[in-house]
Amino acid sequence: MIRQTLAAGLIAAATALPAFAQAPAAPVPGWAVGRPEGSTLAPHAPRLTVTPLDQVPVGALRLPPGFHAEVYAHGMPGVRMMTEGPNGTIFAGTRAIGRVYAISRNPDGTTRTRVIAQGLAQPNGVVMVGDSLYVIAVNRVLRYDNIEANLDNVPQPVDMTAAFGLPTEQEHGGNHHWKFTILGPDGRIYTNVGVNCNVCQTDRDKFALLVSFKPDGSDRRIEARGIRNSVGMAHHPVTRELYATNNGRDWAGNDWPQDTLHRIRQSGEDHGFPFCSGGAADPQHNMGHACSGFVQPAALLGPHVAALGMRFYTGTMFPEQYRNQIFIARRGSWNRARLSGYDVVVAHLDSQGNVMRLEEFMTGLRDDANQRFADRPVDVHVMRDGSLLVSGEQMGAIYRITYRQ
Amino acid sequence: MLFAAAVLAAALPGFAVAQDAARGRELAATAHCTNCHGADGRSQMEGIPSLAGQQPGFITLQMILFREGIRQVPAMQAFAQNMPDKDIEDLAAWFASLPPGPPDDRNARDPALFAAGQALIGPRNCASCHLPSLAGREQIPRITGQREDFLLHTMKEYRDGQRVGADTVMNSAVFGLTDADLAALAHYLSHRD
Repeated sequence: MIRQTLAAGLIAAATALPAFAQAPAAPVPGWAVGRPEGSTLAPHAPRLTVTPLDQVPVGALRLPPGFHAEVYAHGMPGVRMMTEGPNGTIFAGTRAIGRVYAISRNPDGTTRTRVIAQGLAQPNGVVMVGDSLYVIAVNRVLRYDNIEANLDNVPQPVDMTAAFGLPTEQEHGGNHHWKFTILGPDGRIYTNVGVNCNVCQTDRDKFALLVSFKPDGSDRRIEARGIRNSVGMAHHPVTRELYATNNGRDWAGNDWPQDTLHRIRQSGEDHGFPFCSGGAADPQHNMGHACSGFVQPAALLGPHVAALGMRFYTGTMFPEQYRNQIFIARRGSWNRARLSGYDVVVAHLDSQGNVMRLEEFMTGLRDDANQRFADRPVDVHVMRDGSLLVSGEQMGAIYRITYRQ
Repeated sequence: MLFAAAVLAAALPGFAVAQDAARGRELAATAHCTNCHGADGRSQMEGIPSLAGQQPGFITLQMILFREGIRQVPAMQAFAQNMPDKDIEDLAAWFASLPPGPPDDRNARDPALFAAGQALIGPRNCASCHLPSLAGREQIPRITGQREDFLLHTMKEYRDGQRVGADTVMNSAVFGLTDADLAALAHYLSHRD
């Protein structure tokens, strides 16, 4: 398999070079390839103002029997990716609004929210490493030591940017530069480096990657190549294999490609983007590659659904059938005539780690009849009591899902 | 009018909060917005954008980006700092209610430049997000009825990676355009009434 991948890489280099040399000045920029004439599809407006509690659509959520949803915290515009400190504080990153929130629990069960960092460029990557909170904002890596003891007086972070050496906003050309960040069972920090375009021939050692580092930023290792933009990943609690969600390219039709789930069995393997997406040839960027030469996706997650934050369910509150299964937040489509996603699904695995089926878990936010949505789930987090948090970016709220027999 | 408001609310439940344009008008005077942006929301000052007829979702978003220190324009910093959501939304509602239009001293139309700019609108898919009228929607701004100098400045910022919006679509949209291309686009847009 490795030999095959290497061979494919050499072919890629050999075929890509002449194509670059011959390419005339393109009349249509790469990002617009395949865009249908007259389309008025555009990203949905974010909401960056506070949503009052009575407008948080918790009542719209639909769950399997026995599950119950409540509002865990609210009033956090743009809330996205979550990580939990040793003392139970939830830290949550954002994108456009540039804030990092800390949500702590009061003795009476209510929550208190603080803004612990602001003015950052897309601080989407948040992860606890011991007592330290790492925040990754595009290429900036900031480490807030002993953060939970200092929520009211957050000290200056240690700037780890140079050590990690991630591509800058300029190098990304503004494209797919926000991060999803986790701590691996091996003590390394894992993150994505998204592609610097919608779809293009690019530096495949620099973009469209999953990478890992030692916590001091040294020893960068490519975990997976050819993954367009992964904004969700987690290690299997038993096998320790890395799984990652991936956002497919835009402007190739309503139903192609599907977003994908990737299984990284061996560091450094090639998953095929931009040549192939969802296991099939890209209509403009295949460059003669056989898609069977790349690692195949572990699952297809739906077209344009924006499959983002994912975690294995490691708690005991939910029924046994959910143990060690993957919960995936699907933020919801924009580059599609009809809305897709806006829910949380479960990928059920067999004992070998193969995905057997996808199951809808949290629905009710997408109104198909009127083509509206009430919120956009972007991440999930398993609390120590086994309940599941779901962050709703559009309404700035975090929902908590519990189970009672 | 009522019907239009209902449609907007249906399309975007997030923006269905009542905004008070009359309160926004008072705020615009006391906060001195109109000193630079014009008493009628049409800027007569170089480098200052007109806000008349601008999309309220766009104004709200930009004010929040100023407030949070994400979009850094020194002239706006003091005004946006600590401004409550409600004030921002009311200001946005008032500016949005004003009829858009060019500055009083708009330059004469250069037919060749106008045509060169017009020719880029299709290939760059401007109407995809800004709509065929180029009046924008929600977080996407109106780009007609705007000052030519400000349009050019803004597109250069997007092209050169000095500005991002709520997303990075505009950075991609102007990627690879020359200064001359951007000047033509700015001229076309400022003269498209």
